[in-house]
Amino acid sequence: MRYIFNFPDIGEGLEEGTILEWYVVKGQVIKAGQPLVNMETDKIVTDIPSPKAGTIVAIYGSVGETIHVGSPLVEIEIEGVFGADAVAEVKETGKADSVEEEAAGVVGTMELAEKNAYLAASDEGSTKSKTEDKPVVKVQATPLARAMAKDLNIDINKVIGSGPSGRVTKEDLENYKPAKQPQGVIHKTETSTQQLSADAVTYEPLSQIRKTISKNMLHSKQSTAHMTLFEEVEISHLITVRDRYKNRFAEKDIKLTYLSFIVKATVLALKKLRKLNSQIDLENDRMIYNNRYNIAIAVDTPEGLVVPVIKDADRLSIQQIAQKITELSDKARDRKLSLDDMKDGTFTLTNYGSIGGIYATPVINYPQCAILGIGRILKKPVVKDNQVVVGSVLPLSLSVDHRIVDGGEASRFINQIMEYLSDPVSMIMD
Amino acid sequence: MEYDVVIIGAGPAGYVAAIRAGQVGLKTAVVEKMYIGGMCLNWGCIPSKALLESAKMFNRVKVAEEFGIDGIDIQNLSFNWVKAKTRSTRITRKLTNGIQHLLKKNGVEIITGTARLGTDHSLFIDDKQIFAKNIIIATGSKPKAIEKTLENAPVIEMEKIFSLDSIPDNIVVTGNHISAVEMAQFFKLIGKKVTLIANSDYFMAGLDDYLVTIITRKLKSENIDLILNAYPEKYENGEIHIAGFKIKCDLLVNLNSRKAIIPESEIPFELTERGFIKTSKAFETSIKDVYAIGDVSGKSFVAHVASAQGIHIINHIKGIKGNFDDTTYPINMYTVPEISQIGMTEQFIKGIGIDYKISEFPLSINGKALIEGNTEGFIRMISDKKYGQVLGIQIVASNATDMIAEASAFMNLEATVYDVAKTIHAHPTVSEIYMEAGYDSFDKAIHL
Repeated sequence: MRYIFNFPDIGEGLEEGTILEWYVVKGQVIKAGQPLVNMETDKIVTDIPSPKAGTIVAIYGSVGETIHVGSPLVEIEIEGVFGADAVAEVKETGKADSVEEEAAGVVGTMELAEKNAYLAASDEGSTKSKTEDKPVVKVQATPLARAMAKDLNIDINKVIGSGPSGRVTKEDLENYKPAKQPQGVIHKTETSTQQLSADAVTYEPLSQIRKTISKNMLHSKQSTAHMTLFEEVEISHLITVRDRYKNRFAEKDIKLTYLSFIVKATVLALKKLRKLNSQIDLENDRMIYNNRYNIAIAVDTPEGLVVPVIKDADRLSIQQIAQKITELSDKARDRKLSLDDMKDGTFTLTNYGSIGGIYATPVINYPQCAILGIGRILKKPVVKDNQVVVGSVLPLSLSVDHRIVDGGEASRFINQIMEYLSDPVSMIMD
Repeated sequence: MEYDVVIIGAGPAGYVAAIRAGQVGLKTAVVEKMYIGGMCLNWGCIPSKALLESAKMFNRVKVAEEFGIDGIDIQNLSFNWVKAKTRSTRITRKLTNGIQHLLKKNGVEIITGTARLGTDHSLFIDDKQIFAKNIIIATGSKPKAIEKTLENAPVIEMEKIFSLDSIPDNIVVTGNHISAVEMAQFFKLIGKKVTLIANSDYFMAGLDDYLVTIITRKLKSENIDLILNAYPEKYENGEIHIAGFKIKCDLLVNLNSRKAIIPESEIPFELTERGFIKTSKAFETSIKDVYAIGDVSGKSFVAHVASAQGIHIINHIKGIKGNFDDTTYPINMYTVPEISQIGMTEQFIKGIGIDYKISEFPLSINGKALIEGNTEGFIRMISDKKYGQVLGIQIVASNATDMIAEASAFMNLEATVYDVAKTIHAHPTVSEIYMEAGYDSFDKAIHL
């Protein structure tokens, strides 16, 4: 029986991926679970395993091509499965895929979206240089076509060849018009430089990441009752503590950031106010309280916003948290985050302060019920012992889903975090 | 009886199309009047080259002593026309039998007779009517009849040359193209007095001017009288009167420019100015579902292009898509030394305004050429200056007609001079001159 394996929905709400590398060739015998292809989406680079054992009889799409979810990836000849069984097989895998989809989380972001979106979009072009670093299978082309492509500054891998076995010829280059997108298999368009248009507006196709963000944001805003609280906390003590331990941590190659303390404080506060670590299940008229404390952290990368998750943060020391943050940020930067790294978040932190922001109304990473935004530490006059002194103030913005969390609870939660941050020692006293 | 395809003519266009049609499962018949294999196998390509080979051998043995072979009495060497002819016929028979076998093997019906086109996909072969969804005209061409003024001369067509029992001493060849030069040289090689009359102003049209000069010079050096651009006035007392000369002529070989052999048709074909069947780029004639390939369409007059057209047209009928590019194919001359050309000529390149470069390498310093004692010749490579694409290759060498295949392959792949230079050529071979010319075009030839 021939089984066509379609590009599965690997979660994240993404609709397409780009082939980076094929691990299998036509005619190869494969085992179930064996990696078939390395795919890059706007968020991650991941291996797609084969759902079946058998022989690869056809491979669809070549390196650099963009494949839509649901479009065929490979055709596998499965021995000994016929007729009705064959249909059942296909159905079964279809089901497995959708389960996967449910489990995968959406990407949380903040309502500072304008700025963030700008950052993401403006860096999208750098995807190109990233992929170019990777070994890419050469498209078939005549020597003349290669010389012409170089001369005309055309990426020959994007030219569809009309010669035997799809070889790119002189004629193909002469007829090549970039950015025309055929259906099904789409060649990625780069939008790194905004062309100045003589017209009043310039039309550009939506990038995948922008589509995903827009869908998720709207969904969150329409499905929840957003409420945002703003607070300021003086953190001179925390600064002292951090300065004291910073170098010691650095010796162990760990970057001790304020974020590590904030994660710790958040987890401790969540333990006290578990509503903030829950979600609502209206269909079954019940609350779902998370017993795990998985803190999702929005990381700004050149490819766009990604939200890796520190799992079971309640069981980690500040050192371990700092270590984990470094590890996940590195992975995010190198685009090595796996789906696993981004799954199962229960609460999200977004640190726009690192880009210079002060306050925001972060958008909840639905179906979570709260997100804490962290602003830039500001030198500000504060009153201490009836004296106006220079204080170090950390601005916080907490958005909650008012369906779940009432104002009082939200205030108590943020107060608790502030308490921990202004008096770091209290974190070990509870 | 209805066929998917009926092909008229079993020459290199028709028989190849027929085999291909059989291969792809079309119900196919080929109608042939007389000769399976057409002119190519019966009095053209194969037999004429076989004769030339005998003539070449005849001259080659004269230098055997130089190679260290004693005992050949040059004074007593003589060319045995009948034996040479027999050898040629043996080769021809083997090949035509082969084609008959291939046609049969692929389920192609061979109908002997002369076809006439009716209307509505019908054909008449003598009295029998058949129907075909597609009809392919591959009837070929023949030389224009000899001028009226020479009708009393001892004229012979190539078709009939094998019926001669002997070759007289004074030969006149009339013609403007490759085969005329080849046959003129053949008669010269076997010791005849030869005159070549080019009765047009397009002697060797299509070849690079540089090669035409080489050919003209070669004919002169071999004492073949070449009369260019002149028309015979009369034949009288064994002599042809032309341009003030009287040329002794015991045999006048007609290799004149060619004209189409157009089958009878109830609906007349639309013709080109030169009288060939007019066809579209897809080889369609003015009659629906009737195609024309090979010489009869006047697009080219070489067997290899005709065969390629044959394969292409069947693929087209069968729905197998593909482009047909006939811009790059070799033009071969089986002279001594052989001459071969592929791609654009220098004049053409100049005409379209491409900035080009010519690189050359002579055979006189090539090891293998010296070994073989065939040092007459060169390679000439024309490339565009911008990208270095090889646009044309011209080779004069004893084995040029085979050597050109390399250029066919790399030019079809749009190779540049860098690719040719970097291709490792075996040593010693004559083909090393490709590499040298490649280097010469953008840097320096190694051995020059």
